[in-house]
Amino acid sequence: MFSNIFQGFATVMSAGPLLGIVLGVCVGIVFGAIPGISAIMAIAIILPLTFYVDPIVGITMLLAVYKAGIYGGSISAILINTPGAAASFLTSLDGHALARSGKAGKALCMSLYASVTGEVLATLVLIFVAAPISLISLQAGPIEKVWLLVFAFTVVGSMTGESVPRGLLSCCVGMMFAMVGMSSLTGAVRLTFGIPDLISGFTFLPVLIGVLVMPEVIDAVRRRKAPHQDLVLKVSDDPADSRVSLREYRSVLGTIIKSSGIGTVIGALPGLGSSAAAFLAYGEAKRSSKNPEEFGKGSLHGIAAAESSNNAVCGSSMIPMLTLSIPGDDVTALLMGAFLIHGITPGPTIFYEHTDVIYAIFAGFLLVDLFLLVIARFGFPLWMRVASVPPYFIFPCVTVFAVVGAFTANQSLSDVMILMVFTLLGYGMRLVGLNPAAFIIGFILMPLLEQNLDQAVSIVGGDYLRMLASPIGWIFIGLSVLSVVSAIRSNRRGRRKAAALAAAE
Amino acid sequence: MTRRHLDVILCSVLIVAGVLILTLDGLAQGGVETQLGSMLMPRVVASLIILFSLMIGLPSLRGILQDRPLLPTELIEAEGLDGVVIYIAIFTAYWWALPILGFLVATPAVILAVAVLLGGRSWVPILAMSLITPTIIFYGCRELIRVYLPEWSF
Repeated sequence: MFSNIFQGFATVMSAGPLLGIVLGVCVGIVFGAIPGISAIMAIAIILPLTFYVDPIVGITMLLAVYKAGIYGGSISAILINTPGAAASFLTSLDGHALARSGKAGKALCMSLYASVTGEVLATLVLIFVAAPISLISLQAGPIEKVWLLVFAFTVVGSMTGESVPRGLLSCCVGMMFAMVGMSSLTGAVRLTFGIPDLISGFTFLPVLIGVLVMPEVIDAVRRRKAPHQDLVLKVSDDPADSRVSLREYRSVLGTIIKSSGIGTVIGALPGLGSSAAAFLAYGEAKRSSKNPEEFGKGSLHGIAAAESSNNAVCGSSMIPMLTLSIPGDDVTALLMGAFLIHGITPGPTIFYEHTDVIYAIFAGFLLVDLFLLVIARFGFPLWMRVASVPPYFIFPCVTVFAVVGAFTANQSLSDVMILMVFTLLGYGMRLVGLNPAAFIIGFILMPLLEQNLDQAVSIVGGDYLRMLASPIGWIFIGLSVLSVVSAIRSNRRGRRKAAALAAAE
Repeated sequence: MTRRHLDVILCSVLIVAGVLILTLDGLAQGGVETQLGSMLMPRVVASLIILFSLMIGLPSLRGILQDRPLLPTELIEAEGLDGVVIYIAIFTAYWWALPILGFLVATPAVILAVAVLLGGRSWVPILAMSLITPTIIFYGCRELIRVYLPEWSF
């Protein structure tokens, strides 16, 4: 493994990948720092550009955008109290309190150091855990993979939706759209309703941008009359208030390590995401703190806990995607799409079929952290200005980038039409509480399910009970049932709590 | 309009679509015969869609019929929806105009329109952005990634 990692570093230490990382980090911070633009939007917009470069350059660039975008969310959270993402909400509590007292530099530094430490720790876990897990998952044949994918659908559907039926319905609608067009197994043209343009199916990129990115633009249009938060920064005269000393960093290191651990575990579980990690880690840091009353009022421990945990999710969320082909959230679904577009199928065989690429990507992961630290630290004055750019400069450009992104897939205006349709669908899904991430995961995983099911059926012949004879299959069936039951119970608890609160009011 | 009404409309549409997929013949044309068949998975997924739609739609329908008080999550604010309609109209016009006017002519107009819709009134920077951004994208795509965006067709 170590020789592979060194080989990976050798591959990634060339002009192309390094340039991709620098570009990705800058784009990620800029997009993350702008309120209303999330890391996923940045990745979706950059994705078409990566088609034209080497997979190592393209994928490391996307990962750089992802990691830097998550960190960038904390800049607007700290400076203008507008979290770029839900996961940065807790950072804004303590970070903005510090910024108001003239210690914005200290808050930004702590957020950066905690983010980078969390990311490095999670990346190391990814590197050392992914390959052994893939060895185990290599034992799985088509029958086990079918049950694994059923588990993926149920866990993602039941954990990501507003309620279990809504999450699962989102996933099923995504699966249905994935089956439109020519079947890769039989060659039959399905569900096109006589429309010739649909024979090749729905192109991934317009669907992705339409469902995940454009609804955010529509949201910005809806909120256009809300007052824009301008940056009014108070700067302390004391230089110590603009940096984090080694003593301060050491004092929060325990919190960072614990929170990174929480983030890593949460990230590795499909469907939970960085917000859950940040809230859990923040709660734990507050519970175990000697001064819990300082949390929410400018606590460095609070910033460290929230940032290290939500950034640790970046690395560990790749574990189920790379080892089991299960994208746990919308960003990893998108990254899985990028892998597929580059001809690399995530899953246990990736470590044997694309050893050089995967270890170069791991090395790129670690280099991204280094570049993020340097670029973010020395670019503070610029990122501060970026955070206060008004939305009427941002969203017109996002609209154009989205159209160009959709067009580049096949150089066809039909894809722009598909983008438009899926924009409406994506926005409609949000209105009725359906989950776009579950939709995209259903859309991506459906062809894999169909292919494995076809192989499994060929293996068992007419004896379909053999589908239930595999012990690994039993584990996944059990986990599927468990995930649905636990999600139903947790939803019921939530509803009872809400009803009790409503009754009390 | 509340979430409950939307739920009922959406679920009705999905149930009808599901029933059509389950019952209509000829939704798959051509292809080779396999044990699994081309329409097995679409029909399984359609059945699941009907099941989950019923699980969502029936409680919402009951809520409407029994006039139960709305939960905060069931309220849909209408504020700002006029802007959404305008944005979609701009987008549709853009898609229609692209092959006729070309990217370099249609895009500045769209950037300007969306910026104004979002409340932008800093005319000089907005005009500069609406001219510079499309030019960079157009020539960048053409020279760097060999993507030829639509051109003026007159």
